[in-house]
Amino acid sequence: MTAGSRQVVLNKIRDGLGGITGEPAAGYADLPRTYQQHGSMSAALKLALMVERLREYDAEVVECAESALVATIAAQIAHSTRHLLTAPAGLPAPWLVDGVEWRVDHELSHKQIEEAEGVVTASFCGVAESGTIVLHHSSTEGRRVLTLLPDWHLCVVRATDVVETLPEYFARCAEPPPLATYISGPSATADIEMTRIKGVHGPRFLSVVLVRDEA
Amino acid sequence: MSAPGYHAVRDGHTVLDPRTAPPFPDAALTVLRNAQLRKNVACATDVIQGKRDRLVAEKADWSQLRDAASAIRAHTLEHLNEYLRQFEEQCTDAGGMVHWAADAEEARAVVLKILREEKADEVIKIKTMTSTEIQLNPFLQEHGIAAHETDLAEIILQLGNDEPSHIVVPALHVNRAQVREIFARTMGLPGLSDDPQALTAAARTYLRKMFLTVPTAISGANYLVAETGGVAIVESEGNGRMCLTLPRTMITLAGIEKVIPRFRDLEVMLQVLARSATGERMNPYTSLWTGVTPGDGPQRFHVVLLDNGRSAMLRREVERQTLKCIRCGACMNTCPVYRQTGGHAYGSVYPGPIGAILTPQLQKLEHAQTLPYASSLCGACYDVCPVKINIPEVLIDLRAQVTEKERESERRFFDPIYLGMLIANWVFASAARFSLAQRAARIGLWLFTRKDGWIHTLPSVGGRWTMTRDLRGMPKETFREWWSKERAR
Repeated sequence: MTAGSRQVVLNKIRDGLGGITGEPAAGYADLPRTYQQHGSMSAALKLALMVERLREYDAEVVECAESALVATIAAQIAHSTRHLLTAPAGLPAPWLVDGVEWRVDHELSHKQIEEAEGVVTASFCGVAESGTIVLHHSSTEGRRVLTLLPDWHLCVVRATDVVETLPEYFARCAEPPPLATYISGPSATADIEMTRIKGVHGPRFLSVVLVRDEA
Repeated sequence: MSAPGYHAVRDGHTVLDPRTAPPFPDAALTVLRNAQLRKNVACATDVIQGKRDRLVAEKADWSQLRDAASAIRAHTLEHLNEYLRQFEEQCTDAGGMVHWAADAEEARAVVLKILREEKADEVIKIKTMTSTEIQLNPFLQEHGIAAHETDLAEIILQLGNDEPSHIVVPALHVNRAQVREIFARTMGLPGLSDDPQALTAAARTYLRKMFLTVPTAISGANYLVAETGGVAIVESEGNGRMCLTLPRTMITLAGIEKVIPRFRDLEVMLQVLARSATGERMNPYTSLWTGVTPGDGPQRFHVVLLDNGRSAMLRREVERQTLKCIRCGACMNTCPVYRQTGGHAYGSVYPGPIGAILTPQLQKLEHAQTLPYASSLCGACYDVCPVKINIPEVLIDLRAQVTEKERESERRFFDPIYLGMLIANWVFASAARFSLAQRAARIGLWLFTRKDGWIHTLPSVGGRWTMTRDLRGMPKETFREWWSKERAR
């Protein structure tokens, strides 16, 4: 049944487009792309914009130097007063700071992840213009469910991985990622009288550690 | 198996169906008398439109992004066969199963078959207008499968036995007091307050268990990426991420026009969509997945590609542009007609200006013939459309088609407007008949002209004009009469 309708639909499309021929590739190359591809800000301004955008949607942001990263992660966790945390299997070992019960994701069940009070991950990059954090779900970013069920997400973003515009992120992808999640603020809804409410299903609290370059 | 003429009825309440919906003017009249609904719609559309306008204004390259988005969509449609085949191949390679459905009936059957194989008696859903288009929920219910909506607005509608009135914020016609009443009654929470925070929290609790226990999910798609076989979904709440991640089986229902050529094209489409739809620089969550990823998310993944009238719209460029739509809803928020009537009057899951051109075409103009007239042709929809669909142009084209169809209709001789036009045609064809008619009209209309020189009410068909507008009385003499007198001097 499926195969039959496949041909029916494709034939109908072909008949409909009767007059149009030509290789898609040629037309594709000619598509207008005069929009802004590259950012124009200085590195400092770009980072300031990223921080501003993150704070606009109530994410907590702290900046630190590479050498202070582990201490900063520890401080953020302590400040959050959370004790049971989960982490992707590939998270750098020093980031699993003391004083917390860690559930490292070696095939954790959904229930085990759900029980965790928070999750600590790395990220693929950040987009300053929209304050977007990009996850490609590598071994340091964790599978998708890991950054979904816990109520608090502590995400490490490196300043060198912050781009200004969305096209700059796409330019960074040598290969399209099979999985990706773009996070631009905590879960939210405005379905009831356009009143913005935080925290419908995803993590209600997002905390970002922005790691500055070692100049 | 239901017949092609399947008409879903839910608890005695007919779901939005262009085949059975009343003509737009009749449906609109009912809504226009509902002050509460008009207030809710006006308030919501004002808020979204204000945010959208601010964020578009700050984007220096907005018109270039629109040009690119429009060109990408037009290019895709011109090569739809190639791109769909590429998507199918890539998605299949990545472990997905691609199904093709020529119409709504077949799509429902495909989904039901998959669910039967999964032995599913319930399924969780991410908001999808396409599933409402094919009336999937009532169909599944008839076959013993409970479909649970998980988007907050969709829950409000499902629990309240209501229908969507907007494609982005489907429950914008419902206010907090009404939501409170629905949740308190259906969730057994008599003490619930009408604070949106409390209402949202109630929905979170209501759904959490469902997300963790129901093993099958249905979604729509914002974009299908031909290059990779990937699917993208944009959302705000996280219910999408839940449905895309926790179940073991995922079914994505997508119109054939949802494909885009390459991954990179998302850099354009995501930028224009978020700003246009909700007035955000970026929506809180965008998910992209490709087939099946071992150890992450559903391990069985199906895509149902739905035609259901779309391929017939490819033939002519003026109609084809309708399929460029990325369902942002900006045209509704700005439309002076939609802002008064809300969505239900359109009798279709696709309301507003885009619905006024999409619905009649999906129905091959056999139904919804009044929708192309549900517009003042002011062009505001074209101005805001992120993919530059010239909606007024399509509306006029469809009006011409409706008129052509009526010309063939037997019933036309009973239509006073048709007869009036026929007579007018004969009168206007001759100068003598025309000037005679002018004199006759002057005498005839004199009876209705008040002292202020205006006609406030006319009988019969003329009343349709004077119902909402006054008409200036006929002048004492015509220009031609005045001119011949002047020349005689």
